[in-house]
Amino acid sequence: MKQKVLLSVKNLKKYYEIPQGLFKEKITVKAVDDINFTIKKGETFALVGESGCGKSTTGRTILKLTEPTDGKIIFDGNDISTLPYKQMRTLRNRMQMVFQDPYASLNPKKTVREILIEPLRVHKKFDNVTRLEKVKSILEIVGLSEYHLDRYPHEFSGGQRQRIGIARAVILQPDFIIADEPVSALDVSVQSQVINLMLELQREFELTYLFISHDLSVIQHMTDRVAVMYLGKIVEIAKTEDLFTNPKHPYTKALLSAVPITHPKEKKERIILKGDVPSPANPPSGCTFHPRCSFALDICKKQAPITTEYSNSHSVNCHLYTEFKEETTHAINHS
Amino acid sequence: MSEKILEINDLRVQFKNGKEKIQPIRGVNFHINKGETLGIVGESGCGKSVTSLAIMGLLPDKTSEIASGNILFNNQNLSKLTEKQFRKLRGNDISMIFQEPMTSLNPVFTIGDQLKEPLKRHKKMSKSQARKEIISMLQQVGLPRAEQIIDEYPHQLSGGMRQRVMISLALLCKPQLIIADEPTTALDVTIQAQILDLLKKLKGESDMSLMLITHDLGVVAEMCNRVVVMYAGEVVEEAEVNELFDSPKHPYTKGLMQSLPSNNDRKSKLYSIKGQVPRPSEITVGCAFANRCPHVFDRCLNETPPSFNLGNHISKCWLQDSPYKEVSHNETKGTAIR
Repeated sequence: MKQKVLLSVKNLKKYYEIPQGLFKEKITVKAVDDINFTIKKGETFALVGESGCGKSTTGRTILKLTEPTDGKIIFDGNDISTLPYKQMRTLRNRMQMVFQDPYASLNPKKTVREILIEPLRVHKKFDNVTRLEKVKSILEIVGLSEYHLDRYPHEFSGGQRQRIGIARAVILQPDFIIADEPVSALDVSVQSQVINLMLELQREFELTYLFISHDLSVIQHMTDRVAVMYLGKIVEIAKTEDLFTNPKHPYTKALLSAVPITHPKEKKERIILKGDVPSPANPPSGCTFHPRCSFALDICKKQAPITTEYSNSHSVNCHLYTEFKEETTHAINHS
Repeated sequence: MSEKILEINDLRVQFKNGKEKIQPIRGVNFHINKGETLGIVGESGCGKSVTSLAIMGLLPDKTSEIASGNILFNNQNLSKLTEKQFRKLRGNDISMIFQEPMTSLNPVFTIGDQLKEPLKRHKKMSKSQARKEIISMLQQVGLPRAEQIIDEYPHQLSGGMRQRVMISLALLCKPQLIIADEPTTALDVTIQAQILDLLKKLKGESDMSLMLITHDLGVVAEMCNRVVVMYAGEVVEEAEVNELFDSPKHPYTKGLMQSLPSNNDRKSKLYSIKGQVPRPSEITVGCAFANRCPHVFDRCLNETPPSFNLGNHISKCWLQDSPYKEVSHNETKGTAIR
């Protein structure tokens, strides 16, 4: 079954410049450095990585909340990376975002009614009466009710606020939603409610998600394909099942092994990474992961690896796989 | 053999909120044995952090008070201590690791200045001796270039390194009990694995006890000997860790475990506990969990359940009362299928 590609990102770059004073050279921080991926219609694509790896910046750049430095963002066949502000604004009724912190992303001076009507008003959809009906029906769908309409965000709990945030994104019936850590600020019992809601909405409105998260158990549960990011680069892309059963990149392996066990009797072999994530302002030479990698070769220090197709829909950015040497891969599996 | 280092009996903490009085802690009982790791699990607002503050004597004195109950540390009642007596204890016999390594270090003092304080107060060490001690402690918690870090400021360190500094601060006076309040919540998984590994190693080297407050059941499974589950200011379940994960008794604990994504089939609907945690002011008669419980019956709404003790496994639920046991058994089967 061939699915339509909804979004493809080609060589996307987002650099930030930090001025160091009048006569000193500026430092460039490569927050997102030359990444490529495609998202098919109806699938859930995950971006995973540690804090500071550029996953949120990628999400914001795709929606053009920050301007990309270079590269193409092709949404439904059109390149949107150079669209002017106004056209981009109208396009946003097809692509929406759910933000991480439900406490910070809702305007505290607006009631739920105002918050939810605003997207409809901005995009000039429907008349006043239908708008209100739409708001009521969406509230019902996300599990709130009509009497919440005139309340302010502070009267809701974290889980309820995140529902309002999701309702605000879904009310325009977009094709594509970027969810930036939608459940990481919530408690376990509320988290499962919000995940269920997102899965339900996906079925109902045929949504495509870009799901940004650092929580691997949530990603394993609800996504179709995963891209692992490290220091602004995508190091591995694979189907979720493949990634969790057969990770290739040493960083992915370490990341998966760091997830806490689910039962005290479970034994887990753990790869503990040394040190911290290097500063993106001053990344290591060659492969950016080499100072923490236990399989680092000489070439890793000098030359950045290129993306290698390991198998169908599984690509890795690592020198260990560039020439597809059987011996090296075996060595990793056994050590 | 197992000697109790800390014992909390029927602790109730009251907060004044304008004219109202609310009780976020409503009768908490548990104990920590010497040398063990006790996990305290619960959602935000269930009172786990307030309990730890009460043990440390760090509750704000103007707006809160310990309404009843006592906290025994080595048979000394902590709830009656004066501030001066507490100061002798804090950092020396009991110390605490806070959640936010970003905000719990003072940004205007160097690491060395901050780590020197407990040594100066409790051990009366000279400057050069203290410095030596601090450097060896920083090395022990796995910080590279300890000799330089001692003269650096917190902003020069990353989150994981700051948490290591916090741990070394807690360990300096070799306390008998360490309270770790969500020590890894603000950190990434790979750094979390490093820190948990470190805590395990340090615990193995000495016979201190650890009280680990967390909302992450994975961390509990990895670290703890015994677990206390809290809900809305009460201990609803207490058991040995394997026992708790194998056969949770309280419907809340069961719900928590079933709602973990890893315990559900991929892409399926996650099991979820309906509703949300009640506010302290909303709790009236009966069981606090009654409005969210799938097994609720009349008695839950009218009477507060006592703690039923089933041989080292305590559960605060009417289902554990013998006449209802049959029901509970059948119903758990029902939920497992769902």
